[in-house]
Amino acid sequence: MTSISVRRLQKELTEIQNEGCPVGINLLKADDFQTWFFTLEVMGDSLYQGEAYTLMFRFEPQYPISSPAVQFVVSHDKQAPIHPHVYSNGHICASILGSEWSPVLSVVAVCVTLQSMLASCKKKERPPDNDRYVRTAPDNPKKTVFHYDDDTV
Amino acid sequence: MGNSSSSSSSGRGHQDETVDYGALVPQGVYTGTQDWNQQIVAQLIVSRKLAPFYRPLEDYEDSWDDEQILAARKELPDPDNADTVTRIETTSISSSHSGKSRRSSSHKEPAKPEAQVYRGAVECPICFLYYPANINRSRCCDQAICTECFVQIKRSEPTTTHIVSEQAACPYCVQENFGVTYCPPQWRAGLGSDHGSWSDISRSPSEPTSRPTHKRRQKSFGADSPEVVLTDHIRPDWEAKLEAVRAAVARRANRRIIMRQVGDRLIPVGVTSGRVHALSPEEAAAAESAPSSRRNRRRGNGGNDGNETQYMGMSGQDLEELMMMEAMRLSLLEHEEHQRKEAVEKKKKDAETAAAASPGDGAAGESSSSSVPASTIGPLATLNMTTPSMGGSGPSSPTRLTVKSNSLHPSSSNPNLSSSSQGGHSPTQSSRHGTTDSVDSLIAGRKSWSISRSKTPPPPSQAQKSTSSVPAFSTLRAAMASTSTAAAVLRSSSSASNPDASTPVPTITLNDPSTSKHAPQSSGDTTTTNGSVSTVYSEVHSTDPSHIGTNHGDSSERQLSPLTNGTSSSTISGAENTETSIDDSVSVTAGEDTDTERNGYGVLESSPESVAREPLLAKGGAGSAGLTMHIEEVLK
Repeated sequence: MTSISVRRLQKELTEIQNEGCPVGINLLKADDFQTWFFTLEVMGDSLYQGEAYTLMFRFEPQYPISSPAVQFVVSHDKQAPIHPHVYSNGHICASILGSEWSPVLSVVAVCVTLQSMLASCKKKERPPDNDRYVRTAPDNPKKTVFHYDDDTV
Repeated sequence: MGNSSSSSSSGRGHQDETVDYGALVPQGVYTGTQDWNQQIVAQLIVSRKLAPFYRPLEDYEDSWDDEQILAARKELPDPDNADTVTRIETTSISSSHSGKSRRSSSHKEPAKPEAQVYRGAVECPICFLYYPANINRSRCCDQAICTECFVQIKRSEPTTTHIVSEQAACPYCVQENFGVTYCPPQWRAGLGSDHGSWSDISRSPSEPTSRPTHKRRQKSFGADSPEVVLTDHIRPDWEAKLEAVRAAVARRANRRIIMRQVGDRLIPVGVTSGRVHALSPEEAAAAESAPSSRRNRRRGNGGNDGNETQYMGMSGQDLEELMMMEAMRLSLLEHEEHQRKEAVEKKKKDAETAAAASPGDGAAGESSSSSVPASTIGPLATLNMTTPSMGGSGPSSPTRLTVKSNSLHPSSSNPNLSSSSQGGHSPTQSSRHGTTDSVDSLIAGRKSWSISRSKTPPPPSQAQKSTSSVPAFSTLRAAMASTSTAAAVLRSSSSASNPDASTPVPTITLNDPSTSKHAPQSSGDTTTTNGSVSTVYSEVHSTDPSHIGTNHGDSSERQLSPLTNGTSSSTISGAENTETSIDDSVSVTAGEDTDTERNGYGVLESSPESVAREPLLAKGGAGSAGLTMHIEEVLK
């Protein structure tokens, strides 16, 4: 008896493999049901044109009841997009990843949402409290209680 | 899963375990704890207000025959179930299946009701498994949700940092107060069927085949509609949980470490439960005698709302342990502090002996020793500690410790104070005695010292140290602020320790209510208002000796004047975590929040250190916010 998360992720994965991801989103790696990686590009006219980012999903056994931990990958050759809701450590302040997560959402739905979050960005800048947050941020963004002060995203 | 196995094992004898071929208990889709009220859920299922826990199908095709459907049923975790499956298959019921128009497989073999219910199965959008089509529907937006998933959806759990319990929102449309409706099949089988008899089943097969197509509901249901099952219905304990968390927080806020005075130090000997009746006898008595309103207020300081939570039983074993550990840490801290203080004191004494000619003003005690007032404290002191999480969020959230000393014998305590203060500037003392109400109250009542500090040692001590070779305050503070408090403390203590220590000077805060009200001063200057002087100290960032010296002189003068007026309160508000306050139990700041947050040191501060702090002052606004001072009014 596999856990609900594996069961559901298996189905999501099958769907991704069968039907592909939306434009600009590509499955990079899904070797197991704990961590998945996607590449994310903003298509069309945006501040992030031509830039590609990597998203990391981490799933708990309670997924999809509990939200996945989603963040941009930051490494020697990867950066988090500069965005008012994206911290330089890759953490994302988005309500759907926290309090407004719904088990009806899926991995692809999250990707699409983040894609549109970037696409709608007007100005490339870090969150005002970036430095402070990054200094003390936990590894898992789910451990952070974000305050969602901008519902335009 | 015994239920399911027995139920499906056929036979009317076991039917009481199933409802319409579904179970009363979950089928293992989720493996977490089943924290909903299972009895309520079972009742709702039996009364057909909630879909039974059908064994889900991994997949579903309309073209499947019964065998395929049954084979697709999710395997149950326990071995019984495999058994079940086989038995089910053998249990095929021969009956007329007139209504099987849909069944492509119908030609093969007699329909099995267990399989028939899955005709037209729908996929639950959350677990992606397939269930009989008469699945629960969200009350608000008419979306399918299986019972397995429904019981998983609940309010957000309140935590000590987030003491609210928000209603579960609909996963589909995010409407508040999620609930579902269930449209049972026309037939009944198992529990709740007319006789629970086989006859039901014999007639049922035809029914299930009439595939329960979902007819679009006409309307959405209100949360209070009788047909709606809310997430709160199956977790009626959510309120109690919320209360429990509130109580935990409140209790934490009220928790005190019981200190015993040994020689001139305080040794933590225990932790109160945080309930009123667990307080030390005197304190309890005082609390009881005090008007309820006051008690409320006192508790309010802890940040809880309402008494009732106070009395709720709590399972705080881990908390207790935590507290004890904190007590140990404190003890250590205290020890160092003490040593440091002694050293400082000694120096001070030497330096000031001459100046201290006029007795008296020391009576109130010196604010100079911010830290643990070991020697002067009364026999019992209670430490009020708040764990860091209280304040809320970050790792940086301060731990607040309030040390309360209840001196059983007011008179004795006073003398102590005075003696300690002696080192300070005498003039103030004398004047003060005459005029200060607060002092009187002090004497009369017992004194409570609250030392609240987060990880950092109280600023005052720093000031004291300044004369000696103490690391700059800022450094120390930074170190303290970091997680390794103990290390920081050690370091500081080592540097501070001075062999020639006279009696440690306790910091005593006498909050005269009136004075405290006036106390709020943002600047480092002492303000004298109508006879009440309040000095607000922010943390000292500079430990420069010269500073201190100059300040020292100034401060003494300032203070003197207030004292004469009769009420003097100096408030030292440490910046963030560090605050030491000793407050007279009697005095509770009625007025402003800021006052409460700050410590009022009603006592004159004769010590140079205190002065030194002054200049730095920046109304510890930020810090004080983080730390709420506990001002306990025990007296009256």
